[in-house]
Formats: sequence, C-alpha cells, structure tokens
Amino acid sequence: MISVTPKNLSVPLSQQRVKLDLNNLSPEQVALEIKNLDLYYGDKQALQNISMSIPKGQVTAFIGPSGCGKSTLLRCINRMNDLVDICKITGQINLNGENIYDRHTDVAALRRKVGMVFQRPNPFPKSIYENVVYGLRITGENNRRVLDEAAENALRSAALWNEVKDRLHESALGLSGGQQQRLVIARAIAIEPEVLLLDEPTSALDPISTLTIEELINDLKKQFTVVIVTHNMQQAARVSDQTAFMYMGDLIEYSDTNTLFTTPMKKKTEDYITGRYG
Amino acid sequence: MNNWFKSGSPWVWLSAGGVSISLISVLGLLGLIAWRGLSYFWPADIYQFEMTDEQGKNLTVIGEIYERESIPASQLVHLNLNIDESAETIERLLIKTGNRELVSLDFRWILVPQINKTSLPEELVVIERRTNGNFYGYIEEVILDGQAVEQNKMLQLVERVSDFQTEMEDLQKSDIGAINYQIERTRLKERKHILDDTLTTQLQQEFKDKVSGLKTEYQVLEKQLMALREKISRDQIVMRAMDGQKVTINFEDVLQVTFNNKLNVFEKLKMFFSQIGTFVSEDPREANTEGGVFPAIFGTVLMVLLMTVIVSPLGVVAAIYLHEYAGNNALTKLLRIAVINLAGVPSIVYGVFGLGFFVYMVGGSLDQLFYTETLPSPTFGTPGVMWSALTLAILTLPVVIVSTEEGLSRIPSAMRHGSLALGATKAETLWRIILPIASPAIMTGIILAIARAAGEVAPLMLVGVVKMAPNLPLDGNFPFLHLDRKFMHLGFHIYDVGFQSPNVEAARPLVYATALLLVTIIVALNITAVSIRNRLREKYRMLEH
Repeated sequence: MISVTPKNLSVPLSQQRVKLDLNNLSPEQVALEIKNLDLYYGDKQALQNISMSIPKGQVTAFIGPSGCGKSTLLRCINRMNDLVDICKITGQINLNGENIYDRHTDVAALRRKVGMVFQRPNPFPKSIYENVVYGLRITGENNRRVLDEAAENALRSAALWNEVKDRLHESALGLSGGQQQRLVIARAIAIEPEVLLLDEPTSALDPISTLTIEELINDLKKQFTVVIVTHNMQQAARVSDQTAFMYMGDLIEYSDTNTLFTTPMKKKTEDYITGRYG
Repeated sequence: MNNWFKSGSPWVWLSAGGVSISLISVLGLLGLIAWRGLSYFWPADIYQFEMTDEQGKNLTVIGEIYERESIPASQLVHLNLNIDESAETIERLLIKTGNRELVSLDFRWILVPQINKTSLPEELVVIERRTNGNFYGYIEEVILDGQAVEQNKMLQLVERVSDFQTEMEDLQKSDIGAINYQIERTRLKERKHILDDTLTTQLQQEFKDKVSGLKTEYQVLEKQLMALREKISRDQIVMRAMDGQKVTINFEDVLQVTFNNKLNVFEKLKMFFSQIGTFVSEDPREANTEGGVFPAIFGTVLMVLLMTVIVSPLGVVAAIYLHEYAGNNALTKLLRIAVINLAGVPSIVYGVFGLGFFVYMVGGSLDQLFYTETLPSPTFGTPGVMWSALTLAILTLPVVIVSTEEGLSRIPSAMRHGSLALGATKAETLWRIILPIASPAIMTGIILAIARAAGEVAPLMLVGVVKMAPNLPLDGNFPFLHLDRKFMHLGFHIYDVGFQSPNVEAARPLVYATALLLVTIIVALNITAVSIRNRLREKYRMLEH
C-alpha cells in the first residue's frame, strides 16, 4: 500500500497561490494563448469562440458538465484533434508566440513540447523502463547513460521511482492502475515538455491513487505548466491555481480558483459549483 | 418436454455431438494413416506355405502375409477345388513373394484350404535390394572375393559393403557432382564471352586449362569409383528361392539382409526405428516405390519456408496500407472484398497464373536478360522452387492480409494516442507500438498460410514439382541455394506413388507412410509457429480493462 501524506495540501490553499490578473498577463507569464478558437465536428460546433491565456508554471483546470467541450479544448492544445477526420478548427493557439495551427508547424515537435496524459492509463506493453524512455528513443537518443538518467529523473518526478526501481525491466502492465497512471506521467515528462495536459487523469483510479496523483500535480507545476481537465470540482479546487468553467462549448468564466469557487460572477457557474446541475 | 427444449439442453447435446463427430473423424483419420503407415516399417514374419494347387501339384510359397480376405465360395466353384462344399466363404491370403526376376508379379493370392502346412523357418532371409525389390529365400553360399566363405561372416560383409556404398555415393554425388557443376559453369562463362564477342585467345586458353584440369580431377575420382565398384562386384551371395531355383545376387545390389523370423521383439523394434530413419533420410529408388522420401521432405519444407518469407512482408505491408493509410471509402471497401474473394479462387487457377506469369513471362524475361548463355535451355523460364513459392505466396496472401488487418483493428486507440502524444509520427508509432502488438495476429495469418500452403499440390504440379529431382535445391555448389531448380514435394509424392507407380500394390503402405509424414511435418511447422505466437502474445498481452 502506498502511504500518502498530503503535505502540500495541508498548507492552506490561499497561501500557496499567487493571484494573477488573467486579462493582463505580461508575455513572459503566458504559456499558452488561445484566440478566437472555433471547433466543428462535421456540422456541429463543439467550441465557440474561446479566448483565454494560460499562465506559465501554474495549474489551470477546465471544469464543466459532460459534453461541455473541456476535453476537446484540451486536445486542441497538442493537436490531438487532428486524428479526428471530421474535425475542423479555426482561430489560433499560440505557444511561445507561435501559432500551433500554422501550416508549417511540425506536429510531432509540438507534441514533444506539449505532453499529454489520458483518462485511462495507457502504458505500452513494454517494460517500465522502455515506457519511460519511449519519447527519448523517438528523438533518436540511444545512449544508455542518458536514457538511464532520464528514466530515473522522470520516475522520481512522478513519485514512482521508489516503487519500481527494482523492477524497471518488468512489464509495465504488471503495475497497479495508479502506478500505471504515474508511469504515463513519467513517460510524458521524460521528454521535458513545456506544457503538460492531463485529461481527467484520476477518473479511473481509486481515492488513494487519486490523492497521490494530486500531490504529484502540485509538485509538477514547479517544472511545467499544467492544464488539467476534471469533472471533480473538489479536485479542481484542491490542485488548480486557475479554473475555467465551460458550458455547451462556451467558456463561461475563467479566473483564479479561489474567486471562481467562492465568488463566481456568472449565474451558470454558481449553479454548477453549487450542484444545481451537471 | 417443452421445458426440456426451453432449458436449452437439446442444443447443448447437439453442439456437443457435433464436436464429438469432428473429433472422432480427425482422430480416426490420423489413427488409420498412422496404423497403415507405421506397419510398413515393422519387420514382418516370413511364412513358408506348403500347398497343393488346382492341378494337384505340390508347391512351396514363401513370403509375407500382406492381406487376408473372405470371398464367397460360389466364386471359386469353376476352379474345381478339392474343398469343403458346404463352406460359404473361403479365406484367401495375399502374399508378397518378391523375387521379381523369377516371377513378373511380386504378389500372389493363395487360398487357405489349399495350404497343407504353414511354418516360420528361422533360416529364411529377406534381402532388401537396390533393384528388383525384396528377395525371399534361403542362403546357399556367400562368395567373398570370388571365394566361398562361411555364412556367418555375411552380416559383417553386408556392413562392409554398405560402407563402400556410402563412400561411392559421396564420391558420385558431392565430389563428381561438384566437378560436373564447375565444368558446366566454365562452359557457360565461355559461351557468354562468345555471345558478347569478348572472347580473347588468352581467355579461351584459360577456360581450356580450367576444363582440362577439372577433367583430370574427374578421371582420378572416376578411377576411385571404379576401384570401389570392382571391389564390391567380387562379392556375391547365392540364394535358393521358394521353387528351388538358385539365384546369384551381387553384393552391390544388397542393402540389407535380415532373418526376420529370428528377431525378437526388441530387435524388431530396433529395426522398426532404423527403417523409419531410412525412410526419412534416404533418396527414393525404383520409380519412388522404394527407399526414402528425404528429397520430398526437404523440398516441402524449403518451399514452405520460402513462401513464408515472401508472403509475410507482402501481406503485412498490404494490410497496413489498407488499415492505416487508405481512406475509409468505397474504393478501399472494394479492395478489401477483392482480397477476401481471392481466397476463394481454386488453387489450380493460381497454378495456371503462376505458369503463365511467373514462369513464362518473368522467368523468360530473366533468362533473356541474365542467362543468355544457356539459351535455348531455360534457367528461370521453367518451373522451379522459386516460382512455386511465389505462386503459393499469392495463394495465401489474402489469409495473411485479413488476419493482420483484424489484429490491427483490435489494438485500442489509446495505444496509438499515447505514442502520438509523445511526439512520435504515425510511421514511428506503427513500427514501435502497433506492429509489435499486432504480431500475434500476424503470426496467426502466417500459421494459416503455412497450413494451407504445405498441403497444396495442384498448383505446384504446374510450377515446379517433379516426380524425381536429380539434385536438391540446396547443395555445396555456389550459390548454394538454387532457386531455379525443380523439387520434390510430399503431397505430389503421395499422388505419384499411389497412382502413377508401376507397382501400386507394393507402394500402398508407402502412400500411408508418406501421408503420415506430411501430416507430421505440417503439424510440426504449425506447432513451431503457434509457439512463437504464444510467446509474442504473452509479451504483448493487453491489459484487460
């Protein structure tokens, strides 16, 4: 059993958070800038004119009821929606001042900068070690020492090293669900992305694993900009610095987490967080 | 009753019955083939029958009992037999009497009521010979170097002779064969120079020297061979056949001398296994009706392996294109249907296609381009093992494509997305993630392809199989693997031995033995492939969600 001491979570949230003016961020503070983004699945519009800035080095959560478009928006950031044939996107997402939807963007390079973790743990049917170094091998890195070091660092960052260090070369499929999800996170951070996208990373996990992952997210923001989609409002409140509430393809409200959960400005937001629908 | 139907148990019974019938047929088939095939190798007792024939003449018949049957007595009335009139059926025996140089048929029927005395004399001998089949009889005299010697030296002698025989075969096949091959190559090289108009007198002299050098070597070897032959031909064995005639048999002809009636069970068992060993390791003799089937085993396995090497990459690549790259439109669907329907085309049609396209078109063009020196005798423009492998590869292509595609579509999209999200391109994802996970499915396709190809005979008769191939497609002469050569195949061997041989009765057990061997080889190939697949499955086992 994994012992969990929620040391970061024990600190009052308000003390951890630096309040930012989300409408007037300086360029250095911005990790991602989404501008007038529209997305259509065939004839159906799934995202309507989304504009927002996601600050660097912080955790931003997307919340909203099922089908509101929060996962779709997340998948726009590393262009995973390209895999859907009928999907059409207009507008811009700027990463380091460059539009990722530019014709000349190298999608593979983009995805190395914007890592992603999915809802269900999806380790490859390879050894734990090979899972972690997969992204590095793709870039052509085959130096044993470099790979070993990267694997250890990534596994340590994902709080998995102590549990797997003695069985790195065993199949990743032998790990528990929570360990697998942390392995997938380690795999994503091994290639040192700038942004880490988490798509409901704990929805398939038990409460203890969930707590471990949440604690991990808190640590990760020291190195990465984290964007997390969650349908669990308590989770959003616990881990995020900024929260965006989405409803029916619209971005309803986006502010720092404390404000959004304590004094929401919009009626819809209030209805949702007080549990009147969703 | 109604409740019984509703409970579903009739259907359980029905399906269980179906399974049992299938199981019984398979086991029955294998059992029959195994029994008939393996009994061929068991050293049979040699009987001596004293009997009186229709004319009242006394005679002796010596041989193995091959078959027993009962026939209605009424059929034999016209023969005026001196037998019990009241009997309804009469038993008769089919005796293999061998001794083909004395009687034209080595089998004869005898009626049980005509037999006066049956015995199993220990002195009876069966001699397995290179030509003319078995000889049954008593040893009269053993002649060594022209001198009569004691009979008990004979077994030693047989051994010595068989050593000489192997030496002679080695000489003939590998050494002399290699020289012949080199002489032929030199001749072809010279001819190529003549055709290209580049033959200088110097080159000509070189070729001449080379050929004369080879010829000298050849003569040395030939002398050795003659000496050996001379040695053997001085040893003889004089036999007395069942009718008292004396027959002299040269040791050169003798393969094995056994006193079958003297053997105990263990000796018989030993002989049984050594016979099986001979069967799988030696060349056939006497128009395939005797000897072993080694070239056919070799040809079958080599052809199947070549086919596998060709069909696997082709099928996998085609399946990847259809599943991963081709758009999901009407054309792709049409292509998929076309591929599936290819599996339904009769195999002989593939044979015709192989002959027309591979042999005549492709092979003919290859000859025109690269083997002009041998023309008009074709090199690749004639049926051969490569064309057979290619034809069967096309025949089994749909199987590989279909199962690979199924395997690809079973892979959860989370695997692809996981890889793509780490910055892998589609091709990298395919190589590193998708193909390894799909490998068990690919192996399934290959297993099915092997199972189908190994048993296929009809198309091969058009594109490369022959009754008797003088050389194996693999030997010690450069380039070692001769893809242009014709080959022997167990399936065709069964057909040939069973239906095309001059002595069908004698060859019948061989048909079963060969069939058993073919089944064994296919099963062995399949077990190998299945175990590879199971290991891959274990390695890429997907987590059950």
